[in-house]
Amino acid sequence: MRPMEAFLTGRVWIRQAFPFSEQELQEAIQQNKAQVIAGITDAGECRRCLERSQASIIAYYCATCNKVCRYCRTCIKMGRISSCTELVVWTAPTAKQIGPRVFGWQGSLTFLQEKASQAISASIERGSDHLLYAVCGAGKTEILFAPIYEALQKGLRICVAAPRTDVILELAPRFHQAFPDATIHTLYGNSPEQNGYGEIILTTTHQLYRFHEAFDVLFVDEADAFPYSLDPSLERAVKKARKRNAPIIYISATPSKTLQKNVSEHSTIFRRYHGAPLPVPSYRALWNYERKIHRKKIPVPLKKWIEDKLQKKQPFLLFFPSVELIDQAAPLLKAIDSRIEAVHSKDPDRKEKVLRLRNGALLGLATSTILERGITIANLQVAVIGADHRVFDAAALIQIAGRVGRSAADPTGDVLFFHDGIAHQMDQARQTILSYNKEAIT
Amino acid sequence: MNCYLCDQQLRFVPSWRGIFLQELPEVLCRECRSGFLKLNTSGCRLCSKPGDALCRDCLYWEAHGYQDLIESGISLYSYNEAMKNWFHQYKFLKDVVLAEVFASDLKEILVKERATVVPIPLHPGKLHERSFSQVDQLLVAAGVRYSHLLEKCGETLGEKNRQERIASTDLFHLNGEAVPKQVLLVDDLYTTGTTMRHAAKALTQGGAKDIRMLTLIRA
Repeated sequence: MRPMEAFLTGRVWIRQAFPFSEQELQEAIQQNKAQVIAGITDAGECRRCLERSQASIIAYYCATCNKVCRYCRTCIKMGRISSCTELVVWTAPTAKQIGPRVFGWQGSLTFLQEKASQAISASIERGSDHLLYAVCGAGKTEILFAPIYEALQKGLRICVAAPRTDVILELAPRFHQAFPDATIHTLYGNSPEQNGYGEIILTTTHQLYRFHEAFDVLFVDEADAFPYSLDPSLERAVKKARKRNAPIIYISATPSKTLQKNVSEHSTIFRRYHGAPLPVPSYRALWNYERKIHRKKIPVPLKKWIEDKLQKKQPFLLFFPSVELIDQAAPLLKAIDSRIEAVHSKDPDRKEKVLRLRNGALLGLATSTILERGITIANLQVAVIGADHRVFDAAALIQIAGRVGRSAADPTGDVLFFHDGIAHQMDQARQTILSYNKEAIT
Repeated sequence: MNCYLCDQQLRFVPSWRGIFLQELPEVLCRECRSGFLKLNTSGCRLCSKPGDALCRDCLYWEAHGYQDLIESGISLYSYNEAMKNWFHQYKFLKDVVLAEVFASDLKEILVKERATVVPIPLHPGKLHERSFSQVDQLLVAAGVRYSHLLEKCGETLGEKNRQERIASTDLFHLNGEAVPKQVLLVDDLYTTGTTMRHAAKALTQGGAKDIRMLTLIRA
């Protein structure tokens, strides 16, 4: 495969940022292998992210083309696309590389993992979508290795997409180890350039905008919010990146009802890989917590819980419903022990603080919902302050509970919902966790 | 409608002022709006930098051949984190619509302006590349009339360090339009004041007597 074909196959790229010479591009165009298209269609649709709402496609007088031009705000962070921006696409089919490959993963699967793994392989074989519905800590990544290995040998192009960069960065080394002779690209905002044709693409969902009919099979990790009600452009990105009728494997611990209904083939795993049941949340009243914290007082039950964890030297997370409340509580918590820090989504030291909690330099962390998923710390304890607040829906509470008891050495721990009145979503989360544990036994 | 910066849905709050005074619509949520820090008028009398009545940069110009060239000046906002993010998305990601974020501030201050409003121009090559002039667009969004009297010569200050900036040779020449007596120079960002001093010098040579300046941000 020539370098340009390897780079461009399945992608949509801004011509100005195209890393190959004009002459090479012209040659490919003449041979009908590549095409140059306008960034925004006449109908006002962005050719990269398929946005077409009038609130996001903005008309203005453009000094580059000296007429009224439109640009897309939805994918602007990836380099602005306007009517006069030219995009390069590859249109020729690519030959498949079929043959035996090296498989570097030697772990073993539990019975349930094995069953799910085989069911996913069968779905890919049939070309149908699949939902892997597995609780937090079920060992989801390992389940994917065998189906991906089979797909690789058939010459299929594989994509694993997840909403957050942290997840992609965590997956990358495990994939390199499992598939040592495969070309693996890891894509996220400002990721370094990677050469050649990526056989396995690990990417944030956002970066999928840059692909078009590229993948023979797509794995969508943390698909709980799917279909992404908050950001429909991400759902479009997933659908746009797959080849026609290519199967999508959705992976989630808390799939939405819509997703469960829309995907016909399911595998479910309600037991953690170490076999112990999921920690079940308990409730404790924390009346008027907002006002008390506002008056610079940590409510007594919460203070007692924190002191208990400090004494037992167990790391803990405190989930707060709003950034303002975190800001108010942070100095009060620091007064209890200086090794309790606070983070929120805009905190530049976020990763570092989590790392310090993991290695024991910090004892506790007050956080907004950003740490609800993806974080694994041995012997972690969690408390939700204001679990009745509307920002904590049932799925979020299940994810939060799923942070606890993940290691085989310490499969239990506290999940405490502090509340100002029990809310429906708390019961819903608790019932769901109980039902998982019940099904796991049978 | 959603907030231009965080995409959170905006709550529409109807008001009599909005109906009768044709106020420009708010395009940010309260949280994003509160990130910007307005400068008060107690600082430098030429650029609003907090501190002395004449900041170090402006003092330098007053002492080095630019004395009394500029009557007075004002900058509206400090260059804090929120402003840096806005500026980056507006000027470098070219999110033209973000000009509306400060439209009502500029409208308020310029609606009764009697001097000719003169934006600092971009070099034509740069304008073609960026596809819009970030200063003009701020004024367009505010509904303010302006006239271009200047043309940018070759170089830009963007990649220069402090000494190089202050020592640059002529940055502007007049574009041939008649120069009025009263001029209000407008720019997006005031860093050392070099751009403004050069523009003012060119205008003075063209016959302007009373030159004031307005910048959105004081770095």
